[in-house]
Amino acid sequence: MNNNHQIGRIVAFCCNYTASVATDTLRDAGLIPESLDVRKLPCTGRIEVPALLDAFEQGAEAVFVAGCRVDECHNLSGSRRAEKRVGYTKKILKELDIDPDRIEMFFVHYGETQPIVEAVREMTARISKLERLHSI
Amino acid sequence: MIIAEQKPLDEILEMISGVERLLVLGCRGCVAVCSTGGDKEVGVLASALRLGRNKAGKPIKIDEETYVRQCDPEYLEPLKQDGENYDAVLSMACGVGVNFIADRCPDINVLPALDTSFYGANLSSGEWAEMCAGCGACVLHLTGGLCPVARCAKSLSNGPCGGSVGGSCEINKDLPCIWHQICEKLTGRNQDQLLREIVPIRDWRPSGHGGPRRRIREDLLP
Repeated sequence: MNNNHQIGRIVAFCCNYTASVATDTLRDAGLIPESLDVRKLPCTGRIEVPALLDAFEQGAEAVFVAGCRVDECHNLSGSRRAEKRVGYTKKILKELDIDPDRIEMFFVHYGETQPIVEAVREMTARISKLERLHSI
Repeated sequence: MIIAEQKPLDEILEMISGVERLLVLGCRGCVAVCSTGGDKEVGVLASALRLGRNKAGKPIKIDEETYVRQCDPEYLEPLKQDGENYDAVLSMACGVGVNFIADRCPDINVLPALDTSFYGANLSSGEWAEMCAGCGACVLHLTGGLCPVARCAKSLSNGPCGGSVGGSCEINKDLPCIWHQICEKLTGRNQDQLLREIVPIRDWRPSGHGGPRRRIREDLLP
């Protein structure tokens, strides 16, 4: 993942209770690539479609939302709501002829770091196969 | 309320193809309540259009604004001056708002972002259904409050057609036959004598077939 900065920025919206813990741990261990822009949310249910689109507008090549597992959300339905908003954003991207795989929802168990590593790897792999959305 | 749906993005992008400065103008009336043209939807559409235009290599300057209503003249006043700053105003109101801007602000190039669909009710979050056709001659007192004009596929006035099967409409088995429901309801209330009344052929002129409609209340005129 050392070359990730060459393939564009990835924005990760992370639940403060679960996924953010993992990203903090990974960042402390130097395992978060520089290209990953982590934005913490009190709950991923707080995420709105304009914020997801705005991340792309501001230069992201890929965006992912990492929230609690569906049955573990502190706010009961936060990550389910986030998943729906990611789905709606996919629909908009598709309408704009932008690959909807540039955005994804991931579910993370509290304290797990591996799903975040895998999410970053997955999104990196996806955008490495696509043309750049933004000029360098 | 009036229910509307956003037009496909490629249609809107085509509409604004020559536009360099655009105002996306929402409405806090019906279209905000049905989550199609309020503040949030203005933000989403503006963002999507910027992304689309950037991708096409033709960046666009988009401002976002939402008026209380686009169907009352006082709320459109600011647009007469502010609208001069834009090549086009993309209205996220229903067709009433778009028409009213075109009438009141003739120098503004107003474009519709929505397809206005019907008068409907909110069944649950994210789901709306047609309940009224605005026909101008309400018969709900004869039908248990259920509208055969809006909710019968054939707008029949005197009972179900032969395609009503098991309580479902022949055009879609998931669509309840409203005449089946009317009969059930009136019979259950011992009001089935209403079903025996023959409703004469409907005069469709009040529904708009007699030309654009206008209502005047003398005591409120200036």
